[in-house]
Amino acid sequence: MSTALYKLDKANRTVLERLFEQPAVGKMSPVAKVFVYSVLVFWSIFVIFPIYWVVITAFKDASAVNEGPYYLPFVDFQPNLDAWRTLLTADPFCDGYAILRQFGLLVHNSLAFLVSPLVHVDRMEPQICRVYLAFTNSLVIGVASTVLCVTIGSMAAYALARIAYKPKFGNIVMFVVLSLLVIVATSYARVPWYVTSAVALALFFLLARVFGKRFTSTLGNNDILFWIISQRILPPIVVIIPIYMMFQAVSLLDTHLGLIIIYAVANLPIVVWLMHDFFAGLPIELEESAQLDGATRFGIFWDIVLPLTRPGLAATTLLTLILNWNEYLFAVFLTTSKALTMPIMVAAKNSGEKGILWWEMCAVIAVMIVPVILAAIVLQRFIARGVLLGAVKG
Amino acid sequence: MLSQKPGVPVSYDKVQKSFGAVRVLEELNLQVQPGEFLVLLGASGSGKTTALRILSGLETATEGRVRIGGRDVTDVLPKYRDISMVFQSYALYPHKTVGENIGFPLKVRKVNPAERDVAVREAAAQVQLDSLLHRYPRELSGGQKQRVALARAIIRRPSVFLMDEPLSNLDAKLRGHMRAELKYMQHSLGITTIYVTHDQVEAMTLAHRVAILEKGILQQLDTPAKIYNDPANLFVAQFIGSPPMNIVKGSLENGVFICKDAKVPSPVKGKVDNAVLGVRPEDCSITSAAKGALKGTVYTTELIGDHTLVTLKIGADFLTVKAAKDYTARVGETVGVTFSKDHLYVFDASDGKRIR
Repeated sequence: MSTALYKLDKANRTVLERLFEQPAVGKMSPVAKVFVYSVLVFWSIFVIFPIYWVVITAFKDASAVNEGPYYLPFVDFQPNLDAWRTLLTADPFCDGYAILRQFGLLVHNSLAFLVSPLVHVDRMEPQICRVYLAFTNSLVIGVASTVLCVTIGSMAAYALARIAYKPKFGNIVMFVVLSLLVIVATSYARVPWYVTSAVALALFFLLARVFGKRFTSTLGNNDILFWIISQRILPPIVVIIPIYMMFQAVSLLDTHLGLIIIYAVANLPIVVWLMHDFFAGLPIELEESAQLDGATRFGIFWDIVLPLTRPGLAATTLLTLILNWNEYLFAVFLTTSKALTMPIMVAAKNSGEKGILWWEMCAVIAVMIVPVILAAIVLQRFIARGVLLGAVKG
Repeated sequence: MLSQKPGVPVSYDKVQKSFGAVRVLEELNLQVQPGEFLVLLGASGSGKTTALRILSGLETATEGRVRIGGRDVTDVLPKYRDISMVFQSYALYPHKTVGENIGFPLKVRKVNPAERDVAVREAAAQVQLDSLLHRYPRELSGGQKQRVALARAIIRRPSVFLMDEPLSNLDAKLRGHMRAELKYMQHSLGITTIYVTHDQVEAMTLAHRVAILEKGILQQLDTPAKIYNDPANLFVAQFIGSPPMNIVKGSLENGVFICKDAKVPSPVKGKVDNAVLGVRPEDCSITSAAKGALKGTVYTTELIGDHTLVTLKIGADFLTVKAAKDYTARVGETVGVTFSKDHLYVFDASDGKRIR
């Protein structure tokens, strides 16, 4: 009898073989199982413990923190609501009306900014306590910039996935040169910016029309994609000072609109890059069929493409939302009091003279974690696979 | 019953298509009659799908004009061409129900829901889908998906149907059934239909006329019977027919075809140094080694059912003969082959042209 056949019988295999070999295709060997689950358990402790620590610390008082380390509530220390009381009741304006007013303030101030070149409208002043303020700010800024970013980004990604662009290299150079001229003319010759921009734009179209055909070397969609993602390679800290100056010039410092714009811009490359892959993966026949059936390009995008990329859209939205929610660098530079966000609140609990107020900081963090978990639960339902099932295969 | 709409003519006028440096379609001239079922037949890479896509507007012609119903549509958007297309992959919208899929062309044309509903039911009834309107494509079998695609194509009564290998993803039995349904439907609607396939059986059974394409060049355009019985060149002769036509290389001299160890009287006169003799398997018969025009040894015999295919080895070449179903022979046995002079085809080996 050959060895192979002899081993067919389980009893004939050695102990080591039985431990290290998979019992069947697609299953794990006993040793692999033990190893994998040990690693998972170990890793879970690393991930979960800080959250546990945040939650219990939020219910400690100064003495429980400083005498610590205490880990078990009711055993090591007596939980209390001191941190929450300081956080929520330090201000008389904290009620439902104040929160509504905060949303009204956002709308009012945004509109006021948009019409500011034409008419002057007084901005509303915020008047509720800082945690409410930061929470509503974070919520409004996070959601608004995510919606803006995913909307623009997915449309750009779809265009890049389906339309072949061939920008002429010469035209790009021309555009850059004209932009530099605009800057020089505006800052040194003191020509109003709208005049220089309009002239430069008109000049660009005229020149592109006249000389555009002479330029032969062109770029493709992949070049555009790389150019877009390359903006994310640059660390934001590099551009924060110029952005600060720009925002100062157009009075967007410490405003919701300012942060919404800057977050949308910062995350646009990620959205375009991710969504491009999802769109490129769709079978093109569906869109061609819809095209023949008489749908417009936007109709196809809205009615066929978006529903089919819902899992990708949900994942991208969640990622953008989390990035916006946690963003610290732009917020710390561009806000002072009115538009401050939750991460700033957390950092502010490290006040110089009193040291770090761990209990208050942890209460703020606990509040900050909740919306992210809720968003993940809601969007996770859409990330389920299988939307494309039955699209094109027989 | 669906109402008839007068068919419209379609024409390709010197249509060329290149992708970069690659020329996929050489000057295609093709007139399709109103209400005709025209099949574009060719192997992959022959340019048949490109020709169809140029007519649909999903692809633009590099040169030449395309006309539908006498109007030049070369630069017209697909949605204004009044055509509908069935794709090989069906291209059903997976997130829409069968009813929504079928009604989609009317929805984007802003037909009111009540009217649309009536039309959807009528189109669904035409393809026996009335009971499945609320299902999703993923819950349908291949044949049912195919019907949804057909219903979506017929719902707005286009001037022209385009079909890109619509039956290729179905299993053999269903394909035969759908073929018959498709033919009946086209007949009852009377809509001009352009149908692309690589399957010669589909082409022969469905078409009023078949256009055979190879390497972007139209090889022959004729009725299935003429294409089979009177091939224009060696390519068409070998492409059509299953098993394919037998080929013997040799030369032609004064009405006699001369190959390595035989002389066969030929149906055509003339002198061609490099000629090819073609004969279909069903036009050959097996006889004793002494009587045959050609001699060979039996390589295999295959019982197909109503006949037996006998493959003979003649020198280095193989020759297939369609014999009676009860024919038996030992492998290696030497036998002869005879054929009538009327069923022989002679081609010029250099350019493949038929010598008449």
